[in-house]
Amino acid sequence: MDEVTRQKATPNEVDRALAHLDPDAGRPSNVVDVRNLSLHFGAKTVISDVTIPFERGTITALIGPTGSGKSTFLRTLNRMNDRVVGFRHEGEVLLDDESIWSSSQDLLTLRRRVGMLFQRPNPFPMSIKDNVVAGVKAHGIAKGRELDVVAETRLREVGLWNAVKDRLNDSPYRLSGGQQQLLCLARALAVGPEVLLLDEPTSALDPLSTEAVENLLRTLVPALTLIVVTHNLGQARRISDRTMFFYEGRLVEHGPTPALFESPRDPDTARYVNGLMG
Amino acid sequence: MTVPSTPRSTTPVARAPRVTGARRHRREDRAWRIGGRLATILPVVGFAFVMIVLAVKAWPAFRVSGLGFITHSAWQPGNTYGGTQRVHGVLIPQGATYGAWPMLLGTLQTSAIALLVALPISIGTAFALTERLPKWLSAPLGFFVEILAGVPSVIIGLWGVLVLGPFLSRDVYPIVANHLPNVPVLRYFRGSVGYGEGLLTSGLVLGLMIVPVIASTTRDLFLQVPPLPKEGALALGMTDAEVARRVTIPWVRSGIIGATVLGLGRALGETIAVAMVSGSVLGTVAPNVYGTMTTIAATIVTQLDSAATDGTGFAVATLAEAGLVLAIISVVVNLLARTIVRRAGRMAAPVGRA
Repeated sequence: MDEVTRQKATPNEVDRALAHLDPDAGRPSNVVDVRNLSLHFGAKTVISDVTIPFERGTITALIGPTGSGKSTFLRTLNRMNDRVVGFRHEGEVLLDDESIWSSSQDLLTLRRRVGMLFQRPNPFPMSIKDNVVAGVKAHGIAKGRELDVVAETRLREVGLWNAVKDRLNDSPYRLSGGQQQLLCLARALAVGPEVLLLDEPTSALDPLSTEAVENLLRTLVPALTLIVVTHNLGQARRISDRTMFFYEGRLVEHGPTPALFESPRDPDTARYVNGLMG
Repeated sequence: MTVPSTPRSTTPVARAPRVTGARRHRREDRAWRIGGRLATILPVVGFAFVMIVLAVKAWPAFRVSGLGFITHSAWQPGNTYGGTQRVHGVLIPQGATYGAWPMLLGTLQTSAIALLVALPISIGTAFALTERLPKWLSAPLGFFVEILAGVPSVIIGLWGVLVLGPFLSRDVYPIVANHLPNVPVLRYFRGSVGYGEGLLTSGLVLGLMIVPVIASTTRDLFLQVPPLPKEGALALGMTDAEVARRVTIPWVRSGIIGATVLGLGRALGETIAVAMVSGSVLGTVAPNVYGTMTTIAATIVTQLDSAATDGTGFAVATLAEAGLVLAIISVVVNLLARTIVRRAGRMAAPVGRA
């Protein structure tokens, strides 16, 4: 009996200790929760009635043909569409149970928490180091000498440090496309986001750079939650835990990635993942 | 009526146009080559010609006045009806002495004020036109900015001397002059405000004249900044102002500097508007920013008539020398700007990228 009691007690203690260490303890398990979301540009409906939770610490791939609304959906999650003329939304997007459109939500803080990586590298016209710390400076997270530390940490994190450590003050535009994209990733990570939105992050990169970025993305979970729009079905299979298939503005099917690719329930999904529909 | 010129055709009529055609092409080719070379060297020849003529005309004045011309302040045509004297081998009217320091300083001061005023307004205007205003408003407003660039300077000068100057000296300058503390720099904004003709009014009028020059170029530059870096900055949680300061403006910084130099060139050389609002007072440096003064360009145009009455030609030579000084200032400013552009371009992306 004694032994049983101890065995029962120990996991509890470990749980409590872990819970104490885990910064996400006490937060909802779905970091982003989309409820009945419909998106419109003027009279055109781009997304209709999507309800889907995103579990903390996972990678979700959004796939679907061009024009299926997946990019618009992604860009809505950090309110990048708000200022597009004619944009309207119905429904809700909750970040840690709070609507991203609620009045208590500060837009700049929201974007710090929900970062973004774009379909092509977009370094700013400043030195490599200044690029990494641009967001950190803007949010006042660090200053002075601390910025050097931030820059080195983040560049090491994306595996770029050795390549650029001797030219931190040079222009970023002389780096290769893949290196530029890693730089942009370092810049996005530097402000400490909780969610990272990736809009076809490797579509402009060669296969080797793509592999480097993909491997890196796998190391970011479970600390971060990643939502990746991709046209590359192989990429979706390689890196994502769950996959969502969008078609003509509807979320047709979603589920664990292997299941969705190997036994899709919907005929449109089946045609798309088998390459019969682009 | 064209004749078919297929190779299979054997009639002389058919062959003839082909030969002339080829010959014509050769002639055209050569005309292009020669014309191209001429066009290439024309700016160089034109510039050299102007500078040489100015230097030749100014030579007698330079021999008399030496480098003192740009450090002295007296502007005395002398007695053009009386006797003459010979200085360093040049015949000049008795008592004639010329120093261009006040007008040289005035040229730099008015242009500096114009730039300080025009640059922020221009960038703000360009920013509003490209990023803030809806298209139905920005298109016509942009058109008006360009129209403003085409308003003849004599009209702006007239408005400056009849409307702006009196208004400022009555309703604005006194408030500024009476409330600023007696500390360095701000000291120059105190004291007598005059009647609206002077240094500050000239600078403001010049500023207004170069705003459209800088603003319309800067607007075109902003339109070339690709959206992706700007979106990247927004997505990072930057405010619009931060995006402008850290991404949009740096992206086209060298272009903005170029536009500014264009504006500065116009400010340095602007003649008639300044002649109308500066007070055209020779030989003294304005005691404060409201004081009357003149610039090199304004002096040349206002003094040319009376200079022609100097039988020795010394007065005209002096104006040529003043013109040479102005031309040299413009060249130096351009070279400086080029150096800055080269430095600023180090981080800049090729336009259109990303």
